[in-house]
Amino acid sequence: MELTVTTLINMLVLSSMYILVALGFAFLFSIMGILNFAHGAIYMVGGYICYQFAVEYGLNQWLSLLLSVLIVASFGLFLERFCFRPLFGDLNRTIVVSIGIIVVLENTVNILVGTSTRSLPAFVPGILRAGALSLSAERLVTFLIGGALLAAIIWFIRRTKPGQQMQAISQNLEGAALQGISIHRISALACVMACGLAAVAGCLMGAFLNLTPFMGDYMLVKAIELVILGGIGSMGGIFFAGLIIGSLDATLPLFISGAASQAVALGIIVVILLFRPQGFFGRELII
Amino acid sequence: MIEKRLSMRDGRRLVKPSAYGGLAIILFLLPLFLKSPYWFHILIITFVYIIATVSLRVITISGQFPLAHAAFMGIGAYASAVLSKELGWSPWLTIPLGAVVATGIGVLIGYPFARLRALYYAMVSLFFGVGIIQVLYVFQRWTGGYSGLMGIQPLLSATTYKLPYYYFFLGLTLVCLLALYRFEFCRIGISMKAIAQSHMVASSVGINEARYRVVALAVGCFFVGLAGAAYAHYNLTLSFTSFDMLATLWLFMYTLIGGIGSFAGPIVGTAVLFLIPEIFRELKEFLPYLSAAILFIVVFVMPQGLVGLPQLIRSWFAELRKRVAHAS
Repeated sequence: MELTVTTLINMLVLSSMYILVALGFAFLFSIMGILNFAHGAIYMVGGYICYQFAVEYGLNQWLSLLLSVLIVASFGLFLERFCFRPLFGDLNRTIVVSIGIIVVLENTVNILVGTSTRSLPAFVPGILRAGALSLSAERLVTFLIGGALLAAIIWFIRRTKPGQQMQAISQNLEGAALQGISIHRISALACVMACGLAAVAGCLMGAFLNLTPFMGDYMLVKAIELVILGGIGSMGGIFFAGLIIGSLDATLPLFISGAASQAVALGIIVVILLFRPQGFFGRELII
Repeated sequence: MIEKRLSMRDGRRLVKPSAYGGLAIILFLLPLFLKSPYWFHILIITFVYIIATVSLRVITISGQFPLAHAAFMGIGAYASAVLSKELGWSPWLTIPLGAVVATGIGVLIGYPFARLRALYYAMVSLFFGVGIIQVLYVFQRWTGGYSGLMGIQPLLSATTYKLPYYYFFLGLTLVCLLALYRFEFCRIGISMKAIAQSHMVASSVGINEARYRVVALAVGCFFVGLAGAAYAHYNLTLSFTSFDMLATLWLFMYTLIGGIGSFAGPIVGTAVLFLIPEIFRELKEFLPYLSAAILFIVVFVMPQGLVGLPQLIRSWFAELRKRVAHAS
């Protein structure tokens, strides 16, 4: 009984972790069609900046998170203006630029930080207990923030004007431009928001796991899994894909070893894609 | 006028083969001038990756994006290494076997998805590439897990003296490049290009999309598996990190930087991104910045990649000449 409840809690926590990390990536990919491989590196940088403010300078941790988000978001502005805008629509070169950014970011952090492993202190210290179950408050906060951000993003896309403009752009680029929607400005906004989301994910996850210069690589793969399984073009799909992948990653290791469970989870995803290649809520791509 | 144009075309036709031939001759004679075994090692690794990137490009000709290419290199490498280690077979036998294993798995994965849109194959191969590393880890009794596989049988008896390996890999690379070049320009290769350009029109002419896509996959996976297997028996150790998703992305980098539109593109890109950092080795931890700088310069200044450089310089000069003519 306890194992089931603990596993259930693990499922929810893992799912919220993956959703949190994938949000920014999905935002850019589903809505703007920009494949930002550098998302993992930006997520990592967000975590490190927060560490810098919280531990080295001794500021309040939530304030550090806010500062990290602001800094990374402005980096996103720079990113969009100089890296993504000139290469709009050219997938090959966007990938090359993303990799270049990853190399620069990871190498810079590697040089500055060295081999010391660091970890952010918990945002909300303490452990909640209910009978025989225990859950660190950190995980609960991550779960709540992840869910809240997902809901906020979906609300933003559906209800606010810029969000609807993004939907228009993703549906038909020229039509949106003809309607007077400024593609560049909306792209910039999307990039800023995506990088901000990456920074939040980096800070929260930095308290969970250790901060390493290469932690972005693993999470990038998870984010791509979520987006593809959920369907390109749908933010709600991230939710269900996150639940499924989180469940698989939480339950399979109980029966088989860690690496085998990763392989099996990927195999299940491939089988799902065999029957439904566009993911759960994805649009049928006409290529 | 017409004769002049024809003779120009004839002369131009010999430029490419003579460039390749000249390069091959230089590479054959290189050991007379270069004595350092370290540089031979670098060149051998470059040769291996040239085979890998050119075979990657062959697959992309058919319009697909094999985002697991480095994983197939790993499959060929580990298959050959494990077979020769566990069963004691000679590497000369296991290297082609490793390539065949890579081809078989590539076709197995590609066949169900080759009939769908190319984007779906790209996604599936991405997951497959990540998954295969995990599978290799699961069988770590044979593959050595994260600490790596060591003690692989060497291909040739001499291990520290690099020269025989250098000539072996040079020969292997030339043979593979020749095969891939002929493949790209034979009837199958041209049909693949037709599919990539417009699969509807190609199908209407009677080209079986799915079959040609699978053939492209098979050929590409065979050569990259061969390269990986040969690498395994040269390097004598293997580790997962050479074959993960980032490795595949780097293979794409080398191809894109060199220019994905031409056969020489991946060769140039791989050579540049391997040799230039080696020349500037004193930079040590700042080396990745150099690679990143090359990436950024090529992406923003040369849309066609490095092979487009002569064209670009020519157009700049034409522009300059026009402006001077206008000014005077």
